[in-house]
Amino acid sequence: MFQFILRRTAGAVITLFLIGAATFFLFVAAPSDYASLACGKDCSPARLEDIRHALGLDQPIATQFWDFMSGIIVGRDFPDGHCAAPCLGQSFYSGDFVWDTIMDRFPLTVSLTIGSMVVFLVVGVGAGMLAAYKRGSTVDKVATGASMVLSSFQIYFLGPIALTVLVYSTGWMEDPKYVPITEDPVGWLVGLSIPMVVMATIFTAQYTRMARSSMIEQLQEEHVRTARAKGMAQKYVFFRYAWRGSLIPIVTVLGIDVSALLGGGVVTELTFSLQGIGRLAVDGAQHKDLPLTMGVMLFGAFFILILNILVDIVYAVVDPRVRLS
Amino acid sequence: MKSLNSRRTRAIVVAIAAGSLALTGCSENKGGSSDKDSKKDQKEAAVQSKAVTYGDAAASTGPAEAVPGAKSGGTIQVYQEQGLTHLDPGQIYVSDAGQVANLLFRGLTNFEEDGKGGVSVVGDLATDSGKSSDGGKTWTFTLKDGVKDENGTAITSADVRHTVERQYASFIFDGPTYLQTWLSGAKYREALPDGGFGKKHLPDDVLETPDAKTVIFHFKTPQTDLPQTLAMPGYTIVPEKTDTKAKYDKAPVSTGPYKIAEYKVGKTLKLVKNENWDAKTDSVRQQYVDGFNFDFGVTESTQTSRLIADQGDSKNAIQLTGSVEATKIQDVIKNASVNKRTIKGYQPYVMALNFNLDRVKNKKVREAIAYGVNSKSLIAGEGGAYGGDVAPNLFAPTLPGYEATYDPYGRLKNPSGNVAKAKELLKGVPAAEKKLVFAYSNNEQGQKRKVAIEDALTKIGIDVVSKEVDAASYSEQVGKLDNPYDMYINGWGQDWPSPATVVTPIYDGDQVADGSPNYSHMNDPQVQKLIKKALTQEPTEAAATWKEAHHYTLEKVLPGAPLWYTKQFQLYGSNIGGARYSTESSYIDVTRLFLKS
Repeated sequence: MFQFILRRTAGAVITLFLIGAATFFLFVAAPSDYASLACGKDCSPARLEDIRHALGLDQPIATQFWDFMSGIIVGRDFPDGHCAAPCLGQSFYSGDFVWDTIMDRFPLTVSLTIGSMVVFLVVGVGAGMLAAYKRGSTVDKVATGASMVLSSFQIYFLGPIALTVLVYSTGWMEDPKYVPITEDPVGWLVGLSIPMVVMATIFTAQYTRMARSSMIEQLQEEHVRTARAKGMAQKYVFFRYAWRGSLIPIVTVLGIDVSALLGGGVVTELTFSLQGIGRLAVDGAQHKDLPLTMGVMLFGAFFILILNILVDIVYAVVDPRVRLS
Repeated sequence: MKSLNSRRTRAIVVAIAAGSLALTGCSENKGGSSDKDSKKDQKEAAVQSKAVTYGDAAASTGPAEAVPGAKSGGTIQVYQEQGLTHLDPGQIYVSDAGQVANLLFRGLTNFEEDGKGGVSVVGDLATDSGKSSDGGKTWTFTLKDGVKDENGTAITSADVRHTVERQYASFIFDGPTYLQTWLSGAKYREALPDGGFGKKHLPDDVLETPDAKTVIFHFKTPQTDLPQTLAMPGYTIVPEKTDTKAKYDKAPVSTGPYKIAEYKVGKTLKLVKNENWDAKTDSVRQQYVDGFNFDFGVTESTQTSRLIADQGDSKNAIQLTGSVEATKIQDVIKNASVNKRTIKGYQPYVMALNFNLDRVKNKKVREAIAYGVNSKSLIAGEGGAYGGDVAPNLFAPTLPGYEATYDPYGRLKNPSGNVAKAKELLKGVPAAEKKLVFAYSNNEQGQKRKVAIEDALTKIGIDVVSKEVDAASYSEQVGKLDNPYDMYINGWGQDWPSPATVVTPIYDGDQVADGSPNYSHMNDPQVQKLIKKALTQEPTEAAATWKEAHHYTLEKVLPGAPLWYTKQFQLYGSNIGGARYSTESSYIDVTRLFLKS
């Protein structure tokens, strides 16, 4: 296990480096640069050079890249002070250290991710399992039909409808907003409940269908049939033999979905005017803010890689047949 | 500088609007149809082209006149789509930051409005709007007693000198440059490269501070607009001892009724009362509410939905510089209870289809396009009659000298374009000259404009080749002298109510340069001669010269086809009191707001 984690971690570091390089060089190749945008209306060549120097853009590209990547490990010094590791640079646009900005926005993104995950796992996986258990029944048909309909929806469609119905027309709820859970747990839940539920609705449909098909597949496995033939109780067979096996594909997809959500639910945040990691990524791209864009990209990639490793570990726990070697 | 299509225009530029502004929203809105409102706007705009007046010491003495029914307390929620580009006063040249600046900072002068269309310049930190001598070449200001920064330190003439001198420093690059240029010439930075942070300062024959209370400006030529110039947010005071240079942009020190409690760039801004602001020294601002909470990242669509719904916090909310989203305008005007919570009025911008005169040299082609463009379809994309009005010429209704009926290309008669006239003009023009590259911004607004331009110009026989340009760098791209485009849409508005801030920056040949707002690269000796003449004249004399320059430009040169005048249409929550259209900012007047309960 230890060797496995070590090997995967080394692989993750290399992957992060490659993602950083790809982002950086793609950004540098873009047609317009931030220095020109920041130069203002009386931009002279001298002033443009000053800005490039202040932003470090007059350095060779390889040097800029090395400064950025090494700053993540050892930190960097800027005219505004020391940026401690993991330093993701200083935003061209705001002048803030990117890591601090990400940490400021991250709680909202984590809240949305965890909140919606709880909903779509409980409701989606639960409904899928129930549909599989009652295959062919009305419950199955309703769950399957609903998941078909809901999976065709998008957040940018469902979100405004939810806002119109729950907030703008009836006043049943207030506009979505983020309140730190440490300050007001109820306010946190109420403030984010609409985006959490809307986001979860889209995923619920997907997980319902996946859980149902996975469970049906498991129920047809030979070991399950054998257990039944031996006269074991239906519930025992369901949870002891079929359920664990059916979780494998769910865990795989969950790892990908959660890591993507932690990297920023752009559409959700824009739809509900929330300021999380997704919004930050959009701002970075709009402002040609290389350090911010790099930072958000690497931050998102970090979660994708970490969760992939975790998923592999969970495989072994859920299904002993899987060997990490 | 007021380019509507610059990267700064995501938060449209501060409009030091004229007393000529229509002020249809200065009083409470009673609702009404768009056509009626539009005609009323035009009528009122046409009769209110009057110049700003300069207030004396009595007019400059605080406190400001109380707002009827005003109460104290509470916090106003402010919705804004984009974050602020700057908060350092020296860097402020756009309207969103300008609105905030009016709550945070004070300058030597400020604009005061009477709510009936009258705008005057009064002393803000100064006792009056300034005393001129030597034919307008020398201006003297005396500081009021009891004016302090948020730390309780008295504001002195040294702080004023510092504020002026730091504008020469390289870290100040986005603010206005009028004052520096007038004091030290076009290459003003060379006169004080370190911005007064070292031992070198501006000499007394340029800027004199004989005692702690007196500030004297010496110019080489008369500067009759100086009191208005100094009222720009970009010239509000930075107390010398608090200046942290480039870092000041994120943590400026207040001199106004509110100060910054917390600022997260692009996310939130919280203002609380500045206890060291004395209402007795301020004839313009009130301090009714306890504070303002700014939420950035709230789209105009969401702002509009929230304010129409008027639930919870939205009852206490305003739009800072955002407008009612175009698709929701009808929802607002058809609902009387919502419509009465709106403010409307002309903005100072004239949108024009500018020609690159280095490429489109055939005047007949330009004239044909001026006749053929369809203002009506373009305005439809801006929200219809509430988004803009047909522009028959290049002077906005907010500008002294505005002529409502001056319409050399028959735009008012044919707002959808005069296709027959345009076709007639193009007869005999070689096909190569009729193939024109139109640059448009790759955002939703740009796409709508592209469709309207293509549709109208194709009808008259122009072969339009549309080229998409990155929205974030649109002005940068079309502002290049060697840009590969023949025509592009830009907007421009005055910095203060004088044609000098319109004709000079966009039609003066001396301004032709990379990044200059003279997008058409117009360089006509006659217009330059008239500009130079007008700049040295008294306002009443200058008016005739500006008129001549305007007519000559539009008829003899035709650097751009006027398209439409932009209009403001904002919404606020039902618990907001004291809301009115500010002719100075062309947005909601933030200086006198209160919460009703």
